[in-house]
Amino acid sequence: MLTLLEQIDKGTLWHSPGGVHPPQLKSLSNQTASARIAPAKQYRIPLPQVGDCARLSVNVGDKVAQGQQLTEGEGFMYLPVHSPISGIVSNISLQHSNHASGLPVLTCIIESDGLNSQVDYQVSTLGELTNQQILDKTKQAGIAGLGGATFPSHIKLNPASEIDLVIINGVECEPYITSDDVLMRENAFEIFKGIQVINQLLSPQRIVVAIEDNKPEASSAMQQCLTQFDDLQSTVKITVIPTKYPSGGEKQLIQIITGREVPTGSIPAQQGIVVHNVGTAYAIQDAVLHGKPLIERLVTLTGEQVKQPGNYWLPIGTSVEHALEQVGFTAMDNQKVIIGGPMMGYALPEYNVPVLKGTNCILAPSANEIAPDVDEKACIRCGECAVACPALLLPQQLFWHAKAEEYDKAASFNLKDCIECGCCSFVCPSDIPLVEYYRIAKSALKNEAEEKQQAEQAKIRFEARLKRLEDEKLAREEKSRLAAEKRKASANSASNKSTVAEAMARVAAKKKAAEQEGHSKTAEAPSETGASNGKSAAVKAAIERAKAKKLANKSSETSDSTAAEENPQPVNDKKAQIAAAVARAKAKKLAANQSTDNSASVEENTAPVDDKKAQIAAAVARAKAKKLAKQNADAGIYSTTDSETVDSSTTEAAAEVSSNAEPVDDKKAKIAVAVARAKAKKLAKQNADDGIDSTTYTETVNSESVDSSTTDTAAIVSSTLEPVDDKKAKIAAAVARAKAKKLAKQNADADIDSTTDSETVDSESVDSSTTDTAALVSNTAEPVDDKKARIAAAVAKAKAKKLANQQKLSEKE
Amino acid sequence: MAFKIASSPHVSTSLQTNKVMQRVALCLIPGILAQVYFFGMGTLVQILIAVITCLSAEAAIMKLRNKSIKNALSDNSALVTAVLIAVAIPPLTPWWMTVIGCFFAIVIVKHLYGGLGNNIFNPAMAAYVLLLVSFPLQMTNWVAPSELAANQVSITAAFAHIFELSTAGLDHFRIAVDGHTMATPLDTFKTDLSMGMTSSESLQRNVFDGMTGVGWFWVNLAYLAGGLIMLKLKVIRWHISVGILMAIFVCSGIGFLLNPDTHASPMLHLFSGGTMLCAFFIATDPVTAATSTRGRLLFGAIIGVLIFVIRTYGGYPDAVAFAVLLANMCAPFIDYYIRPRSYGHRAGN
Repeated sequence: MLTLLEQIDKGTLWHSPGGVHPPQLKSLSNQTASARIAPAKQYRIPLPQVGDCARLSVNVGDKVAQGQQLTEGEGFMYLPVHSPISGIVSNISLQHSNHASGLPVLTCIIESDGLNSQVDYQVSTLGELTNQQILDKTKQAGIAGLGGATFPSHIKLNPASEIDLVIINGVECEPYITSDDVLMRENAFEIFKGIQVINQLLSPQRIVVAIEDNKPEASSAMQQCLTQFDDLQSTVKITVIPTKYPSGGEKQLIQIITGREVPTGSIPAQQGIVVHNVGTAYAIQDAVLHGKPLIERLVTLTGEQVKQPGNYWLPIGTSVEHALEQVGFTAMDNQKVIIGGPMMGYALPEYNVPVLKGTNCILAPSANEIAPDVDEKACIRCGECAVACPALLLPQQLFWHAKAEEYDKAASFNLKDCIECGCCSFVCPSDIPLVEYYRIAKSALKNEAEEKQQAEQAKIRFEARLKRLEDEKLAREEKSRLAAEKRKASANSASNKSTVAEAMARVAAKKKAAEQEGHSKTAEAPSETGASNGKSAAVKAAIERAKAKKLANKSSETSDSTAAEENPQPVNDKKAQIAAAVARAKAKKLAANQSTDNSASVEENTAPVDDKKAQIAAAVARAKAKKLAKQNADAGIYSTTDSETVDSSTTEAAAEVSSNAEPVDDKKAKIAVAVARAKAKKLAKQNADDGIDSTTYTETVNSESVDSSTTDTAAIVSSTLEPVDDKKAKIAAAVARAKAKKLAKQNADADIDSTTDSETVDSESVDSSTTDTAALVSNTAEPVDDKKARIAAAVAKAKAKKLANQQKLSEKE
Repeated sequence: MAFKIASSPHVSTSLQTNKVMQRVALCLIPGILAQVYFFGMGTLVQILIAVITCLSAEAAIMKLRNKSIKNALSDNSALVTAVLIAVAIPPLTPWWMTVIGCFFAIVIVKHLYGGLGNNIFNPAMAAYVLLLVSFPLQMTNWVAPSELAANQVSITAAFAHIFELSTAGLDHFRIAVDGHTMATPLDTFKTDLSMGMTSSESLQRNVFDGMTGVGWFWVNLAYLAGGLIMLKLKVIRWHISVGILMAIFVCSGIGFLLNPDTHASPMLHLFSGGTMLCAFFIATDPVTAATSTRGRLLFGAIIGVLIFVIRTYGGYPDAVAFAVLLANMCAPFIDYYIRPRSYGHRAGN
């Protein structure tokens, strides 16, 4: 098995599928030596990259010399354009360009001054230049692939991968065109100079100059010239390939020379192969060795409507009209002027357009050279197109789908691999313009892909916006939470003293209560505490009394409610009255639990309280009392336990705080409330934990007590809320609600863990507590005239409702 | 100055659809001549009837479809269909059957599916099958080869028979053609085998000349010659024809080697009935065939196998029409599943 290089040296050629043999008609233009035409007055240089990756470096009215750069830019794909002539920039505007569409392109119009002044071209020799300098020179000279595609040459000369094989394309398979043929005949030496430059840059193992066998003069000229280049002898091989269209296509030529295919979607360089046109090699040596930018090229002017067909050196920017006039063009009816060859060239809509770097031929055919316009007939599925297709596609299937606008199906038949060579249309017996259908389908697919990409980007943008909004919201919440914590922290430190005092008082009370447990010494407690003087002391006393009374009620059957009612009366302070009322209410409730007689007295007591706030407090107290009563009732059902005691103390503490909080007019009140909340929460948590750990029975009790404490806390908070008119209070309320919710949830969790028996009890109690909370919140909210308060109330109600629902759900479970 | 714009390429081959069809029709001439030589003038009369009917039907339907009558008639596709129907049916088939067949081919099979290029089934073969299943008696009575016939069918006799000029009626037809018609060699062979004879015994009959049917060998050879001319002119590609002939050869060869007594020889298969006509002129109708080269080989092979299977095991002595129609049904599937590997793609893509 020979290696590829050995095969290349041996001259092995591979088969390229498909292809056609259209009439060559090259002898029209290759019989004469290359020539020049009279210079034009005006040259038009399209500036396609300006505004994209380049900027103009001349203005209207500027004097420019031949070879002067008209644009500056930095981009990877950027190629400068140069003035082909010395003259004056007369206009820079949108002009029709040399393109099938005739779309206007920003164009620099230069009026020749006939002075032939030119910029200094810097002559160098290959040995003194580094590779980077060569690449820079190539780029600055604006060298692009002269085979037609005009891809920037400096990119192809600096590939990312190692290059093993360079193919110099002198195939020129299109009919009529002879510019490469004539260039090889006349400028073989310069082409090899260019090949030397390419060889230095890419240092490939082999360089193959491919020439079709219909150009014997060109191949012999090249072969002869090669003997002058000793350094290229071992590397360069001139290979003559059989004439077939489209052998000059990059992919087809690689297949013929190496037998390899370029995988779809990749470029030849990835296979270690680079293909350059002979014209490009010539232009590269001009740029690198002579410092001359690409301002002119050899163009074939041919067709039977041209009197002196041949190859002419035309400055880039010469108008097609001027060029054709100089060679004796006469237009017939329905004249076509084709840029490029008859297979792949495009017909110009008008001929007042410039010659570009990729313009290798201007064809002005007569009617008998070109197929007359015929109507497209029905496809008879003869399959000749598939036989002719060099890309091994099924052109007829592509046509079916393209015509039916089923572009996705056309794509599934590898439409993108179509090189638009025109072989299928050429052989079609039904005169179907297949390539036109493919072009339409390709552009439709391209548009579709672009739209899809845009939609994708819009989606990404939208999602990013949603995320940003969500993040902002979270950040706001976090900020407010931190602020609340900060407030809490500062409040804690400020109210340390009072908390300590309170704690001490509570401890004392508890101790007493413990002492009195089992005995009926409740009457003493009020008198003791009642002796203490001062406003707060009075309040405390009232509370202590109430507590004692409650305990007494619990432990014994005696009706001490009257005593409790008497004690608060001497207190003349308004707030104290309220506290008293609360205590009374509680007591009354308790009493009601035991006997129905006392209900009347409660009503009497409540009536005198005229203050609005007091009424609310009373309501709160009532609610609490109710709760406690219920608790008691429950406790009645089961027997009293230790945990219950803890619970009730929790409740008491809460009650205490609420009465304490009222007189405090601003900040301290809030602090106290916060402390109370925290405590309540802690206790509740303890209870909850206990509940989970303890037996089913205890669980039931615990969760119940937690319920009531939760409700109480909420109630207290809301009553505290009222006097505090500012925003912080509302926030505190919200926090309290949230906590209540959390507790309720905890309860719910506890419920799930407990037995069916306890569940029933739990859910009931939670339900009622939920309702209570809502009621309380709404009660409290009413007096507050502020809108926000109402909103808060609404929110609270909604939450209550939700909790109720949750309860129901857990019940179901 | 404004120019005329057109899409590339700006040149094309001169082989247009109408020329392709015209060449197909011209390449049928050797076969037609052989058929006339062996089976009388009836074929020419049938061609006349079929061409007139098909072109009229095409013109009428194009008028109904509001399309250019001139374009449709000038593409010569109806002409080819007409000639194929005419050479496929027995030469002395009554004129009204030919008219029915041609009308069915053009109007129903071709234009109701969208006209040229859109029909699924080969119009000529669909018409043949319609006539075969509707009028089995007339369709299986082939004219006796001139060597065996009592008297040669002259042009006047052919007209008289086909247009039933003397007296109308089926009985008369039977009596009138009795002198000229007999079962085809394939029919005879099949009947003999079913009656318990061996193939060698059957081949002793006078319709055979030892190897193949009298006259049929030459008719097939003439169609083969016409087909080779078409290949040379690149009117058709070789894949379908080779597929058919190879499949028939391989199948009948295996059958003949395994059991020569009950199987016809490959020679008899290849040069009897419509084998060559089918392989070069009928199955190669591009509209109803597969399009890729491998697909075409498979398409041809399907027809070849079906011809062998129906001839050997089926109920009909010749099977070309059924085989072609069945393969027509497969063509879209073949095209869908057998795609060439595109340039730069790995196999299977």
